Amino acid sequence: MSLRLNRRHFLGTAAATAAAASIPLRARASTPFTMQAAWINDAEFAGYFIGIDEGYYAAEGLDLTYLSGGPDVIPESTIIAGRADLALTTPDTTIKAIVEQGAPFKIIGAQYQKNPIGIVSLASNPINEPRDLIGKTLAVPPVNVISVNAMLALNGIDPGQVNIVPYAYDPTPLIRGEIDASLDFTTNVPYTISQQGVEATSFLLYDFGFTIYNDTVVVTEETLTSKRAELVAWLRASRKGWEANFKDPNGWPPKWADTWFAGTGRSIENEIFFNNAQQPLMESPAGYMGMTEEGIEANLRALAEVGIKGTRDMFDTTLLEEI
Amino acid sequence: MAADASGPWRGLRNAAILLLIWEIVGRLDLVAGGALPGISEILIRLWVDWGDYPRHIGATLYASSMGFLIGNALGIGAGVLFALSPTALRLFRGVNIAVFALPPIAIAPILVLTLSGMAPRIALAALGVYFVTMTATVIGLSQADSRATDVIRAYGGTRWDILRRVQFRGALPSILAGLRVAAPNAVLGAILAEFGGGGRWGLGAYLLGSLGRGEPDRLWGIGLVATLIAGLSYGLFALLAARTVGSTRAVTLNTAVPDAAPRAGHPLGRIALTFGTIALPFLVWWAFIEATGVPDLISKTPWGVVEYLFLDPTAESAQTRLLAALVETLPITFLGMAAGLGFAFLLAISSRLFPRAIEAFMPVALVTQTMPLVALTPLLVLILGRGPSLTLWVTISVTFFPAFVTLAQGLALVPRSAEDLPRAYGASRWTEMRMVTIPASLPYLFAATRLTVPRALLGVMIAEWLATGKGLGNLLNQSRGFLDYGMIWTVAAVSVLLSVLFYQAVVIVERRVLRRLGMATAE
Repeated sequence: MSLRLNRRHFLGTAAATAAAASIPLRARASTPFTMQAAWINDAEFAGYFIGIDEGYYAAEGLDLTYLSGGPDVIPESTIIAGRADLALTTPDTTIKAIVEQGAPFKIIGAQYQKNPIGIVSLASNPINEPRDLIGKTLAVPPVNVISVNAMLALNGIDPGQVNIVPYAYDPTPLIRGEIDASLDFTTNVPYTISQQGVEATSFLLYDFGFTIYNDTVVVTEETLTSKRAELVAWLRASRKGWEANFKDPNGWPPKWADTWFAGTGRSIENEIFFNNAQQPLMESPAGYMGMTEEGIEANLRALAEVGIKGTRDMFDTTLLEEI
Repeated sequence: MAADASGPWRGLRNAAILLLIWEIVGRLDLVAGGALPGISEILIRLWVDWGDYPRHIGATLYASSMGFLIGNALGIGAGVLFALSPTALRLFRGVNIAVFALPPIAIAPILVLTLSGMAPRIALAALGVYFVTMTATVIGLSQADSRATDVIRAYGGTRWDILRRVQFRGALPSILAGLRVAAPNAVLGAILAEFGGGGRWGLGAYLLGSLGRGEPDRLWGIGLVATLIAGLSYGLFALLAARTVGSTRAVTLNTAVPDAAPRAGHPLGRIALTFGTIALPFLVWWAFIEATGVPDLISKTPWGVVEYLFLDPTAESAQTRLLAALVETLPITFLGMAAGLGFAFLLAISSRLFPRAIEAFMPVALVTQTMPLVALTPLLVLILGRGPSLTLWVTISVTFFPAFVTLAQGLALVPRSAEDLPRAYGASRWTEMRMVTIPASLPYLFAATRLTVPRALLGVMIAEWLATGKGLGNLLNQSRGFLDYGMIWTVAAVSVLLSVLFYQAVVIVERRVLRRLGMATAE
């Protein structure tokens, strides 16, 4: 690249340098940066798709590689193995790993202020609160059993009183009444069930004492030190993506029919429902991706109830402050 | 399956009747309140969804072909080495059995942890291919016509000349038969890794995204496409085999006495060899982790697993959970072995007694082998519930097919003259079966048992993972949620070890029984 300056260019460069003082990375060449998402492409990750498509990450100097997740993908593993700089995951697994295995993780942001997972049942056989689960059959993905046991314990219910069976990603057994309820994203499954001509009802584990975040942003301590500027840049661009998303939650999903959502097997209408349903769960006085002191306190309290003894220093809010 | 002139047409007719019954049952929502869609509903849905398919099929074909190539290169290479050196064959026996017996669902998470991108898919596909091809190569090379090798030796040909001019040509039909069986394995391995591995393209990824919709016709469509790919790859190599076999088959019968098996050498050497056989799989495991360079927090070496199970502060809790899981898994696994083998045996006998009915059943049997079980889970739990009967049926479906093929082959090879004797005395088909055919096919019964027994554990673990929430299969999945890497590796190691033990137990019984009866083992 030629670096000879003429007058006009010089003024432009000077302006860029001035801007760079407030936004450190903008004027630099783009840095490769990889994020590991928690699941396959759906509206859960809309903010990041916008950030990539609209160049928010590029403007921050990040050349972002996006890795989608799946049942065998443990997001934390990807960052330990050095295949990603940052992962979206759940605070219960992260904190348990820090406490029990001394894993070098820090939580630097949170997408969902309220965890969207909840108990979904049919309106014709409604489960409206944890007590209603006693004596019923509940399908839970094996990885989430820890959360359900926590919620039951918080509500004074012995997990032995609920018949917990594996949930194999398909709502058919619920629709046909083989199970009474299932644990899933309340932003998603009620729509699928309504498509089968049946009405669903649901409640969040969050509303019954299991007050944890979801899709928390986790990094290793090493990345936190070595790539701090990039992490702040990623948080800033992601917040911008989510802000843009919720200005037009119905408008974005159809745009991705041939890109991000191509061939996922899910419908665009489903993503629109999802995108609208997730907005109230993501809003925070601290802004999108934010973590408030009350929120962190609520996470630690809920996890302590089930024997996961986290501490405040496992969360690092200083990067959010730098946005 | 022999048939008279009208055979193929009657077979077709029976298959058509079966499809018609499926269609009516599906259309009228007679099974599980409509969880089994009719054939036409599946095909219409496939047509509507067709736009989604090409890229998924492309990804699956890419991963399975790469796995097929790599697995076969390794399989043929190893096969040649083993055919040349019985010591190498002995030394690698542990590795070979481990590769054959390992349950893919326990290995897939390990591969996703340690490899990235397409590599887990290719590795799982290659693992499904290696053993079949390696075995076929060894058998093919060692069964070369000794008269032809004698000719080469007499003219001063080297070992390499024999290999090149006689053994490879003689082995070709056997190797091609191996590739035929290996090809669908590669497809299934790739799809399983796609399902879990988080990529965007591949039939497994499409299946995962589609599961949440609760629309069985889509899931059956994906299963049908998977079946078609597996079936076509089988057919391709069957065709290749049919084209080439003719030129390599011996015209007259070889009456030479086969070479005696080389006697083992010094007792110390034998002990060293046995030790090496057992140690090698663990060395391969350790080398794999070294090669991937994944930090030891998430990847456990054999010693790491020992530490986790016996030395760490959490060892006691780990042992308790592992033992509790084994107590749940093992009894039903033994039942599953018996059920899978029994089902295969009944089917093999029926194929002699009622060939037409079994011919019609074969397409259904093939679909059960290639239809991803996760897509069938809702249907299965709706029909069978979540108790032992579901576990047994899943285990039967995972185990019966290879056993059935082996048994049917054994029954078909019983000499006609032996069967003519009871027939001449006016015995019924069943008496003839009981007194001649079944005893004569005993070696094949053992071969079938060897195939069934390690896979029974796989079947039980799948049912536990998808439906019953018990035992090893559930422990494996819960451990992922707890980031309990030690347990993930422990479950994988224990399940492979158990499968190898089951296999080895059958081999020991087989040797004793067949030796007493003066029979040879069948491969």
